Amino acid sequence: MKIDSGDTAWVLASAALVMLMTPALGFFYGGLVRRKNVLSTIMHSFFILCLISVQWVLWGYSLAFGPDKFHLIGGLEWVGLNNVGFTPNADYAPTIPHQAYMLFQMMFAVITPALISGAFAERQRFKAFVLFSLLWATFVYDPIAHWVWGAGGWLHQLGALDFAGGTVVHISSGVSALVAALVLGRRLGFGKEKVEPHDATMTVLGACLLWFGWFGFNAGSAVAAGGLATSAFVVTNTATAMAALTWMTVSWWHKRQPSVLGAAAGAVAGLVAITPASGYVNVMGSIVIGFGAGVVCYAAIQLRERIHVDDALDVWAVHGIGGTWGALATGLFATVAINSGAANGLFYGNPKQVLVQLAAIGAAWGWAAVGTFAILKFVNLFVPLRVQEEEELLGLDISQHGEPAYAL
Amino acid sequence: MDATTVIAVISCAIVLCGWLVLPSSKTTVKPLVVSEEPEPVSVSA
Repeated sequence: MKIDSGDTAWVLASAALVMLMTPALGFFYGGLVRRKNVLSTIMHSFFILCLISVQWVLWGYSLAFGPDKFHLIGGLEWVGLNNVGFTPNADYAPTIPHQAYMLFQMMFAVITPALISGAFAERQRFKAFVLFSLLWATFVYDPIAHWVWGAGGWLHQLGALDFAGGTVVHISSGVSALVAALVLGRRLGFGKEKVEPHDATMTVLGACLLWFGWFGFNAGSAVAAGGLATSAFVVTNTATAMAALTWMTVSWWHKRQPSVLGAAAGAVAGLVAITPASGYVNVMGSIVIGFGAGVVCYAAIQLRERIHVDDALDVWAVHGIGGTWGALATGLFATVAINSGAANGLFYGNPKQVLVQLAAIGAAWGWAAVGTFAILKFVNLFVPLRVQEEEELLGLDISQHGEPAYAL
Repeated sequence: MDATTVIAVISCAIVLCGWLVLPSSKTTVKPLVVSEEPEPVSVSA
């Protein structure tokens, strides 16, 4: 196999783009919390970038992408990047060094547990967060990544389509966020006092950087610099814009004013929803997916508020529901005219693809929910998940890290 | 025109029509509440 310099350059650049998304997420979340918790919220993302970067090269990549065991998990043959060198791997990316593919996938593994951190913002003990993140990446993310993307994974063999992580990244993190919010319980004063975002500008900046980085996430998932990457780039931008317009319009109708934070959240919902479909749908499909994301994710937030679940930064509504819609929509709008190596969806004469997508959605929801619940209960045996009341009132920046965000 | 295109056009039309009928400003505007500046916090190096 011959290494293609153009493909390699694109995948390495995409890995760097996806890397930027994790600190961008920190800013997106950081602006939404109160000023006493902004530093701890940003720290969640920054810390996970460091933690999973090491976990991935030691054992994470091997579990997710290593030689298949029973269609469920990768073996340990690639632990410590043993046998993962510069020769391309034909199963994953035949024109780039295997390590470049490993690096690209690392950035996906990094951002996924960081997404969950929005659910337990402003109340989780940092030590519990450290243990939870490491265990979650190992026992929830790595197996699901293998099922969907690993050579021999059972959902991969079933024909599930997930171009860039609708099930692997967004359903897994969104559902886990819901479970975490339920297990940890509500923040003090939740529902009694209004919790306002402390810096909306930071959140909008974070959303813009996420949008920028997402081009690497989706277009990079073509693992080649060519037509498919271009198509993924175009539909990603289109769906994102459409979702932002839709969310803003829905919130305008509902709250009587066009919300800036709503437009930013809508953009993220669109990015999430187009992720699994980005390598399979045409531009018209991406408009429908963006429109649907703006509507269903907004509705999910209203439902979450009505049932008084304190998923602090709406990870479930945006990533869990947005990812579910995107995975389902892939089964509706996928077309081999875009990706000849994939399958048609319902609207192009293949209703079976919807059933396959539903199987993948159900598997990701189930494993993420059960795994997250078990891990949280296990961690709680050794370290209390929540900070004490007085620590929560003081704020996590001071109580967990001993540093204020703003010395003004 | 295929079904996907038809749904996409309808989606765009819904959003565009929404802008035509939505209010240009809120009828009642609450006064802004300006929070007090917090005490300076010293940070040791």
